[in-house]
Amino acid sequence: MGTRTLVVCAACIVLAGCAGNGEGLDENGRPVEEGGGGSGVLTADFASIQANVFTPICTGCHTGAAAPLGLRLDEGVSYALLVNAPSTEVPGLLRVAAGDPSSSYLIQKLEGTAQVGARMPLGGAPLPQETIAVIRQWIAEGAQSSPQSTFPTSLRAAWPMQGAVLDGLSSIVVTADAEIDTTVLTAGTLVLMRSGGDGVLGSEDDIEVPAEIELRSLSPTVFAIRARAGEWPADVYALQISGGGPLAVTDLRAVAIDGDADGIPGGDYVLTFEVEESR
Amino acid sequence: MMRAIAAILIGCALLAPSVADAEPYFAVRQGMKCVACHVNPSGGGMRNAYGNMWAQTVLPERRIEVSDREMWSGAINRHLAVGGNLRANGQYLDVPNEAAQSEFDVEEARIYGAATIVPDRLLVYVDERIAPGGSVNLEAYVRLSTADQRWYVKAGQMFLPYGWRLEDDGAFIRQATGIGFATPDKGVEVGFETNTWSTQLAITNGTAGGAETDSGKQASLRTEHIRSLWRLGASVNYNDADTGERYMQGLFAGLKTGPVAWLAEADYITDDSFAARRKLWAGLIEANWMFKNGHNLKLTAEYFDPDDDVDEDEQNRFSLVWEYFPIQFLQLRAGARVYDGIPQNDLQNRKLYFVQMHGFF
Repeated sequence: MGTRTLVVCAACIVLAGCAGNGEGLDENGRPVEEGGGGSGVLTADFASIQANVFTPICTGCHTGAAAPLGLRLDEGVSYALLVNAPSTEVPGLLRVAAGDPSSSYLIQKLEGTAQVGARMPLGGAPLPQETIAVIRQWIAEGAQSSPQSTFPTSLRAAWPMQGAVLDGLSSIVVTADAEIDTTVLTAGTLVLMRSGGDGVLGSEDDIEVPAEIELRSLSPTVFAIRARAGEWPADVYALQISGGGPLAVTDLRAVAIDGDADGIPGGDYVLTFEVEESR
Repeated sequence: MMRAIAAILIGCALLAPSVADAEPYFAVRQGMKCVACHVNPSGGGMRNAYGNMWAQTVLPERRIEVSDREMWSGAINRHLAVGGNLRANGQYLDVPNEAAQSEFDVEEARIYGAATIVPDRLLVYVDERIAPGGSVNLEAYVRLSTADQRWYVKAGQMFLPYGWRLEDDGAFIRQATGIGFATPDKGVEVGFETNTWSTQLAITNGTAGGAETDSGKQASLRTEHIRSLWRLGASVNYNDADTGERYMQGLFAGLKTGPVAWLAEADYITDDSFAARRKLWAGLIEANWMFKNGHNLKLTAEYFDPDDDVDEDEQNRFSLVWEYFPIQFLQLRAGARVYDGIPQNDLQNRKLYFVQMHGFF
């Protein structure tokens, strides 16, 4: 072998000698101070499954903007995209059908019985049956999220993102970081408006969009909002969920949500986005 | 017979728009472009007539003689051609602190179909993964080429042009970029091919095969300069997604030194879809040593840094794979992949041993 070969061999050795020693990191390779690391013992709760399965195994691919089929399984996003959310490959099935593991597309993909595509993890060894059994148990027990100690309760949009410009939309998905009192999620506390075509919200020609709410998860509360007419005309939209006044959305202790995310209960949650003409 | 084969090879080479594959070391070793052997100008998937002829005359250690009429070309008639791959695996996985697993599995079975509606100009192509599990479409596009074969445009669902299109979707450079055989996307691609340049630009939804969810699109550009002994290429990709923008840029290269064909790729990625921007690095160096006709020894070293701002989280993967082509259209593989990551993550330190029987046509 000549000089060129030796140079490339040397590059291989340099490349190879760089594995991290893991100092200061949790088992998922994230700084310990970030939190989110697993205990190493898998239990039938979402935080444990996230830390011991989704983060270390699935996020090899299902992460970030390039997540296959739009399914992100990184922490903080995965729950809203899994529980009671329709599968992309088989839209008739929910990725996680709370209470029904056998009908959950996630389980079918992990067990290799799905109608479409390959068994997950793709190209890797199947998860041990004991691991799948724990995920099954979590789903059978209602696919609850793990208890959160957050106070006050705040909201965020899982879809669309704040300020997004969309080609089209089927529904808005909002997730709370704890359980809220869903009995007060009504037309009085939740208002969906569009600008009326001028792109300016807050003007006289704004139009209220009749909406219906679909509850996807209780704890934490995740709900989808659909336009009752079934379509979203091209326009600028604002979703407002009341966190103050006599008609406020509250947590189970009747404390108002922190809608404006200032760390203090109260304030409205407002999500704005734009739907463009479909191209 | 040999003269007939040589004539066919030369004829195919002249007729083929320059072609390459999902084993890009073949292209580096031969000093040819992906499109010399593949229907797809950026490689992977169905082999063209030249690729099929090469696979049964040059590639195997020993060729089972068949008559000229019985030689497989993939063509059913003047307009229709088919192809396929099936990989059956036996593997043994050793994860620290876990019971070892061993299993037989069908890694994948794929079938390809191409209809050349107007010779050299208009083509409809489908790539369907039919096993394991249910059927799933990987590629489905229509391609229009100019008369001189220098330009083409294709529209539909396709693999994205970016870096080396390796057979192994588990390679860090494929996992980190999110561009592989499992993540085709829908859109359009424009290609420019000359004797020494191969360039593709794809504009797609940017949803990795999922439904479009926003108005942002993904642009992926790959360009490669090809010489007989070496090649150098660059890729850039931008995905304007509402979940966060993602930029990727990479260099890739190939070099032939005697019986060894080298591949290298380095990618730098910034991803804004996390709470804080993440910067990722992925790299690969691979040596393919054809120590005897029909035998290839593949040694690969890979590097992955999942977050450049976090120290000591880097991972390596080393692979040693023996690939043997005993007869035409059959590949036997045996290999080991050793993962080296942070000590507190058992999966990042697993060892995988596998054997594979791969039939293709």
